[in-house]
Amino acid sequence: MSLVSFVRIRNNTIDSLKHAIVDSLSLIEYSFTKGTKNVVIKPNMCYYWDYSTGQTTDPKFVAALIEVIREKISPRANISIVESDASAMKCKYAFKMLGYEKLSQDYKVKLVNLSEDTTTNTVEVSIGGHKLRLPIPQTIQNADLKINIPKIKYTIQEIKITCALKNIFGCNPYAKKFKYHSRLEEAIVAINKAMNFDLCMIDGNIVSGVQPRRLGLVMASKDPVAIDAAAAKIAGIDPKTARYLQLAAKEGLGNIKFIQRGMPIDYFKARYPRKGVQKKLMGKAYGFIVTMGLGKRLGLA
Amino acid sequence: MKKVGLGIIGLGYIGKTHLRHSLKLPNVDLIAVSDLSKKALNEAKNAGIKKTFTSYAQLLKEPDIDAVIIALPTHLHLRCAEQAAEASKHIFLEKPIARNLEEARKIVRVAQENSAKLMMGYPLRFNKSFRELKTKMESGILGDVEIAYATYISSGPFFHRAESHAPVPVPEWWFNKELTGGGALIDLGSHIINLLRWYFGEITDIKSHIGHRFNLDLEDSAICLAKFESGTTAIITVGWFLQGYQLKIEFFGTIDHACAQHRPGNRLLAAARMLTIGKSEFHRHHFEELQHFVNCLIKDLPPSPSGQDGLKDLEAISQAYKNQIQLDQGCA
Repeated sequence: MSLVSFVRIRNNTIDSLKHAIVDSLSLIEYSFTKGTKNVVIKPNMCYYWDYSTGQTTDPKFVAALIEVIREKISPRANISIVESDASAMKCKYAFKMLGYEKLSQDYKVKLVNLSEDTTTNTVEVSIGGHKLRLPIPQTIQNADLKINIPKIKYTIQEIKITCALKNIFGCNPYAKKFKYHSRLEEAIVAINKAMNFDLCMIDGNIVSGVQPRRLGLVMASKDPVAIDAAAAKIAGIDPKTARYLQLAAKEGLGNIKFIQRGMPIDYFKARYPRKGVQKKLMGKAYGFIVTMGLGKRLGLA
Repeated sequence: MKKVGLGIIGLGYIGKTHLRHSLKLPNVDLIAVSDLSKKALNEAKNAGIKKTFTSYAQLLKEPDIDAVIIALPTHLHLRCAEQAAEASKHIFLEKPIARNLEEARKIVRVAQENSAKLMMGYPLRFNKSFRELKTKMESGILGDVEIAYATYISSGPFFHRAESHAPVPVPEWWFNKELTGGGALIDLGSHIINLLRWYFGEITDIKSHIGHRFNLDLEDSAICLAKFESGTTAIITVGWFLQGYQLKIEFFGTIDHACAQHRPGNRLLAAARMLTIGKSEFHRHHFEELQHFVNCLIKDLPPSPSGQDGLKDLEAISQAYKNQIQLDQGCA
């Protein structure tokens, strides 16, 4: 079983975030290797919705992590923040609008749009009998340390929850990611196998849920499956019902069962803005309308 | 009954709204549409439009078209309006009239020179709540309106969770100040300024403070302080930063206070309405403004809001951009 830590952020300052990050890492017995050269950080950037919506990783959280990395690894560590274009989001605008361009200037870190990065290598990954060929961008390939900083969010019905594993799906340089949506679960697991991130830290300061709420949570784990299972529990979802988590565990990406460290998970579970019965029913009705192809006609999609 | 031959140029969000409404108007014969998107043209074909073009120049050659709705990005307004007027078509032009005053003046002039009726797409003047507010104010029960608050804050060109199942790409031109003429102030502020001019007359002075939360070249919020010839002072607040929709006008008179707003309402009820009668309550004022335009063409009356109104609104907005008040940066 893997360790997952739960730490409460005292207040919304860089120092407090740094303390929470350091504490969460020490609880999972993680230490940075001195002298690591190339560090890649993958925040979750969602459309042009900034951190206040709970959909996007707060650049302030990333800033705190950069400070920790510079203190623990080296002040000269070569840090890249990566994201790729998506069907509806372009990095050139998202970096600006979500505050990452300013972060890059203030902290002298590189911003890399993986969709424009050199991709010389592709790998073939086999998931449950399906083979997927995936491009690996140069920045990811050259990284000595890869850190995943997702958000906890509800998502489409089939996936249920999006967190660490799903965030790495955003490292796929293809902009038109919906081409993978017919086999989304396999694609998520495949890309995680291909890119193999070293550390996950959840920015749960503001979470989205059914509405944004300040939860003041930092979570850390070396195991993306364990941290996703813990995030699912916080969001009121049984991890066993999320098929992609089962698949990821089966493919050796980690364990669904985890050992809690730090604050009790129930403290955050009780405060997470979860879906009520009415919202669940509305979601099902909405999903039905869209599935039936009536969305456009009704001006809903 | 005399019918107006109509063409729609541009099938983006608002163009599609006009398409739906045109098909519901009894005295309109929607002859053709044009757009660069083949997908949008196919949708129009499926809705029963026989003639679809990828070039509006071709649409303007159609002899049965009396008038066109121009629902193109702002930087394309001038060229399209010129060609439409020269082809003897009346024009319904989406707001803002143009990206700058020079282009706006040319649009007004070319319409006059060619005797083309030019109406601006400002649907709020046709909104029931905002019309009732005007009636109330004019009846005198509020006394003199000393202060007005006008707020229009939404997600602007960006989609938000409540609006769509999945995020929708934002067309590139929206990010380019050269093409739009500005951000939230020209986009949403033009609606508000037009509405307030309708209530209070011309603006005698206007100042603004603009915000850049999203670090773009164009502003994503603005607060304007405007003085009207009626003596009313208005505080206009516009923004693109809200994951929702707020459009509200509030009057404080010497006798009483009154307020009107426009809300999206219940989504499932709206969907049911679309399914049964093909019109949404939220977009009702768009339907009514189009009906007004068509009636003016049939009865040979000058439509309102006119091109001149569009020009005056843009003059006020340009003045607001010029007269910016700077505030000290807050502590991070």
